[in-house]
Amino acid sequence: MEIKKTTIYMWGTLLLIAFGGYLMMAGSGDGVTGNVVAGAGSGEVREFTLGMKNYNYYPDSITVKAGQPVKISLDKTAQGCFRDFTIRDLGVRKYLQKTSDFVEFTPTKKGTYTFACSMGMGYGKLIVK
Amino acid sequence: MTVKNFINELQKSERVEGELLRTIFVSLIASFATFGLLYYTRLQNIENFIPQYGYFIFFSILSYVLVMPAIRQVRAFKKFPCMTGMMIGMTIGMMSGMMLGFFVGAVSGMFWGSVFGMGVGIVLGVWKGRCCGVMGVMEGMMAGFMGGLMGAMTAVMMYNDHLKAAGLILFVVCGAILIGLNYMLYTETKHEERQFSEGDFTTIILSVLFTAITIWMIVFGPKSPLFA
Repeated sequence: MEIKKTTIYMWGTLLLIAFGGYLMMAGSGDGVTGNVVAGAGSGEVREFTLGMKNYNYYPDSITVKAGQPVKISLDKTAQGCFRDFTIRDLGVRKYLQKTSDFVEFTPTKKGTYTFACSMGMGYGKLIVK
Repeated sequence: MTVKNFINELQKSERVEGELLRTIFVSLIASFATFGLLYYTRLQNIENFIPQYGYFIFFSILSYVLVMPAIRQVRAFKKFPCMTGMMIGMTIGMMSGMMLGFFVGAVSGMFWGSVFGMGVGIVLGVWKGRCCGVMGVMEGMMAGFMGGLMGAMTAVMMYNDHLKAAGLILFVVCGAILIGLNYMLYTETKHEERQFSEGDFTTIILSVLFTAITIWMIVFGPKSPLFA
């Protein structure tokens, strides 16, 4: 039975895509896990209230200790997408509709994490020491 | 029926349509070989390389693979009427700009994603739009400019949402449009004689070059503050 060249190209292409995709996408998740990440850390909770200044979060840099619970809320100056608060690398995301809404989490690993609104329009740094 | 004829032509070797599947295959091999070479010489030492960049590099490669058949089809006839040339410049410029803007923007930020997407979109759009003169060139330039900006902007706005799913949807839609361009070119040229025949050299060179530049941009290129 003769196999057409085009059939070989087609199956070869599909196999290459499947094989390449399997190798190149292994272990790549979406990163965002959902809503509030409840902290189970020890020590006093550090509370921060972020506002909006010059079209960005203010303050745009906050420093905390590793293992210390952190609670972040937004004041009424934060508008629009800025109220959808995320820290992608820590799996934190919540729409803080009211000023009484907050996210609470415990960063356990030292490093610098970017916090941002859901559309990346405003951003800042969470420094964990 | 023309669609059926088009599918039949894909399986014959007389016309350029018979070389489209081979072009995809050759481009894939060249691009994956480039990636493999770079991975085993340099990239495997980067911590978290595959989870962080693998998805976006994979789809960037597939984006170029989808553009290559249209490039070959246009080169085979060289000259087109104004309307066809404008469609060629616009489709190639916008689709390539948007896809590359998105996949680079997803890891490098809005500014650098836009710059890269615009660069690729304008270069390919102008190059292919030239087949009908200044109208195609202008259309290719406008489309590449707009596509690059839109792709990167979409990626950044999706950053904290379903970014990878959005990338897949964008890729499928752009892919369908590019296949539509292949079909359109077939309907426009089915009664014409082919002007230029070539081997796979151009496809290989372009695939290697674009893949290498894109990988460099994604992994080592400059990044916006949100991604730094």
